[in-house]
Amino acid sequence: MAAVIFLPASSFALDAPKGEVILTVTGKLDHPNVGDTAQFDLAMLEALDSRNGTMETPWTTGKVEFSGPLFRAVLEAAGAHADKFKLIALNDYAAEVPAEDALKIDSMLATRMDGLPMSVRDKGPLFLIYPFDTDRSLYNEKYFSRSVWQIKTIEAE
Amino acid sequence: MNENARKNGDVIRRASKATAFLQLFATLLMVGLIYLLSGIYEKYEALQDGIRENTLWSVYQLDREARRLLELAHVMGADKDLTLASMKTLSTRFDILYSRMGILKKANFDLRLQDSPELQTLVSEIEPLVVAKAPWFDAIASGRDIDIAHLRAFTSSLIPLVENTGKLLMSANNKVSAERADTRDALQSLQLKSGVVTALLAASVGVLVIMLRRQLRSVRAAGLVFERMAHELNVAYAHAEAGNRAKSQFMATMGHEVRTPLNAILGTAELLELGDLPERVRWSVQTIRRSGQSLLEILNEILDFAKMENGRIDVCLAPADIRVLAGSAVEMMRDRAAEHGNTLISDIPDNWATDTIMTDATRVRQVVLNLLSNAIKFTSNGAVVLKMTEGQSQGKPVVRFAVSDTGIGIDKEGQEKLFKPFSQVDATISRKYGGTGLGLTICKEIIDSLDGMIGVSSIKGEGSTFWFEIPAEPAQAGEPIVDCAREKDKLARQRKNILLVEDNIVNQQVAAGFLRHLGQNVTVAGDGLEALDAMATKDFDLVLMDMQMPNMDGIEATRCIRAMETAKGAVPIIAMTANASDDDRRLCLEAGMNGFQSKPITLSQLAGILDRVESTAERNDPPSGVTLEEGSAMNPRQEEIVEVLGREVFEELLDSFFSDAVFILSAVSSAMRDDNTNNLDRLLHSLKGAASNVGLQDIADRAQRLRESPISERRLLDLMRAVDEQRRTRAA
Repeated sequence: MAAVIFLPASSFALDAPKGEVILTVTGKLDHPNVGDTAQFDLAMLEALDSRNGTMETPWTTGKVEFSGPLFRAVLEAAGAHADKFKLIALNDYAAEVPAEDALKIDSMLATRMDGLPMSVRDKGPLFLIYPFDTDRSLYNEKYFSRSVWQIKTIEAE
Repeated sequence: MNENARKNGDVIRRASKATAFLQLFATLLMVGLIYLLSGIYEKYEALQDGIRENTLWSVYQLDREARRLLELAHVMGADKDLTLASMKTLSTRFDILYSRMGILKKANFDLRLQDSPELQTLVSEIEPLVVAKAPWFDAIASGRDIDIAHLRAFTSSLIPLVENTGKLLMSANNKVSAERADTRDALQSLQLKSGVVTALLAASVGVLVIMLRRQLRSVRAAGLVFERMAHELNVAYAHAEAGNRAKSQFMATMGHEVRTPLNAILGTAELLELGDLPERVRWSVQTIRRSGQSLLEILNEILDFAKMENGRIDVCLAPADIRVLAGSAVEMMRDRAAEHGNTLISDIPDNWATDTIMTDATRVRQVVLNLLSNAIKFTSNGAVVLKMTEGQSQGKPVVRFAVSDTGIGIDKEGQEKLFKPFSQVDATISRKYGGTGLGLTICKEIIDSLDGMIGVSSIKGEGSTFWFEIPAEPAQAGEPIVDCAREKDKLARQRKNILLVEDNIVNQQVAAGFLRHLGQNVTVAGDGLEALDAMATKDFDLVLMDMQMPNMDGIEATRCIRAMETAKGAVPIIAMTANASDDDRRLCLEAGMNGFQSKPITLSQLAGILDRVESTAERNDPPSGVTLEEGSAMNPRQEEIVEVLGREVFEELLDSFFSDAVFILSAVSSAMRDDNTNNLDRLLHSLKGAASNVGLQDIADRAQRLRESPISERRLLDLMRAVDEQRRTRAA
């Protein structure tokens, strides 16, 4: 029982996904659940530590509310530790994101826009959203290029 | 010289104008530059605000996704691959293309698509082509079966889309390039503008520096010219000054030359008046004396004015009881007032706040006497009133003197001329009343230099009131006296109260003058009795005691002082004597004196006595270095008097010596007739002392010889002749 109290949730082995897999984390992982990868369905992602924020982005019209698990919560769940991560989209667009963007910044892997799940046509299913609502200094081209949408894979390098 | 100065001035003025213009120009340029820079700053701000997604990248992605979709559909059609997995991949590819389509409509791009009709048309053509496919994929997702024909139809319908996206990509690329070039041009032009302004600014600053340097050079040159001019002016001024000084000097010399015989005339006339004269002769002598008196007054005024012209109205502030001063002035004028049939009234209040004030008593007396004399002169059978009041002027205490008369009065026009030199109110006045017209000018000068005010109010025919006001700062006990006339010779000696006991007037004046010069308070007593009176009322630090005096001599007076019970009996007493024999010395010491000093006393001997009394005040031993230096060179003696007391005083001393000598010699002759040996010796002693005091050693020697051997008419006549000869030498 003592172990249950003191060990953080992330130290438990990751459950296998039950629904459709929407995210696969590969590379150096502590908690793989399928082979040497960690795979997540929507329910698993939405169970993690999350945030929501209403903000303007270059890709949307007007103010939009994004919500979803914190980037760092997803990495912890997978037990992924690396200096940088490669985010790969459905169309093979890829961007490298340094680890501090997950650890120091409350960036999230948005699953919902204005409360609704995002389809591929709506840049879903996962969209890396930086907290433009709380930190205006992030609002520039550097972070725009890291704001990958239609994410399918994260590689921990 | 002047030409140079004018040229320099012109250059400076021109350069100043140019500099002012350049400053204005530079300021304008500065404002322009600030404006341009703020434009650049605003551009950057706008850039910062307008951070947007890269258009070209999005359009490229759209084109790429369209081509990948076409390619996949093409491959699937060729392979006749209609499996579920392949269809799902195709569907995902379409979804991605669809999501790209939406971005073009919604996103915030750096290139505003809607601003360009061409791009806008392309986007609006592409959009329906994409959206039209969505129902087909929706149907597949919901389980609709498709065959190869469907797929081929779909594939061929994608071809116009790909053409359009390709066109859009090229157009967007051209547009972005053009825009980039435009932006660069705009920035370049802005930079060019600010560059030009900066260059202009630099140029104007450069010119400004050159102008300032030129200006500086001219200023320096002008400074040199002015310096030279100032030097020349100084030289010219010095010449003028020297001329003026020479004139004043001449006036002063002339004044003395005239005054010396005049004194003799007056003295002789007074002597004559004392004798038993027939009425007619007495009247004539009186006329001579009065006329001489007026002449002397005029002369004194001219001398005063000459001094004033020379810039030498020195005022010397010292504690003075001005009520006593005013009272004595009134007494001095009483006889004169009576001669004119005038009543002279002094209105000096008894209760007075400040008895002793800091002022120049001699100068104030001179003014009071002048005003009184004027009032008496212009009034006959009337009244002259001197009224003194205390008051305040600008918060400071003042004393006000007013001399009112019931005389002829002065009209307004005359009052304006009153205080100007050489201006009598009208010519008839000087004819009728005489005078130089300088008296009031001198008064004004004196009162001005005392920081006071002088004025008059008068009604013609009804009399005048002349008034003046002087500051009345109360004198502080122990206030150091600054001897203005001889300030250069500052002797830091402790200030003592000294009693000078001496019967001969000339000796009194010299010794008292020397002592005052040494910064001492001097009280003069004419003989032993007066000395004892003075001792009774005042404390003294030192007594300088002549030995031979009428009424009570020095030895007797010393005995009386030593017999006093109080501390006063212990006051140091130094004998001043022309008798320097051992017997005299013994007599002096037996009587209780502390030392003695041979006559005539020099300034340095006096200073030595003072210093020794200061240092041995408690010890009571006789001053050392007492010398018996009669017969020493007398020219240095005269030089010393001139140096310390001034030539004028020396001349006055000589004058008064000669007029004294007339009296003494006549007294000697009458004492000889009466065979009064005692009196005879005393008179000769006095004459000898006075003569040696003013440096007339020959006369002193003759007087001494008369004392030593039986006196005869012939030898007395010799002495008289010697005195006369000396006087003529002086007057020549």
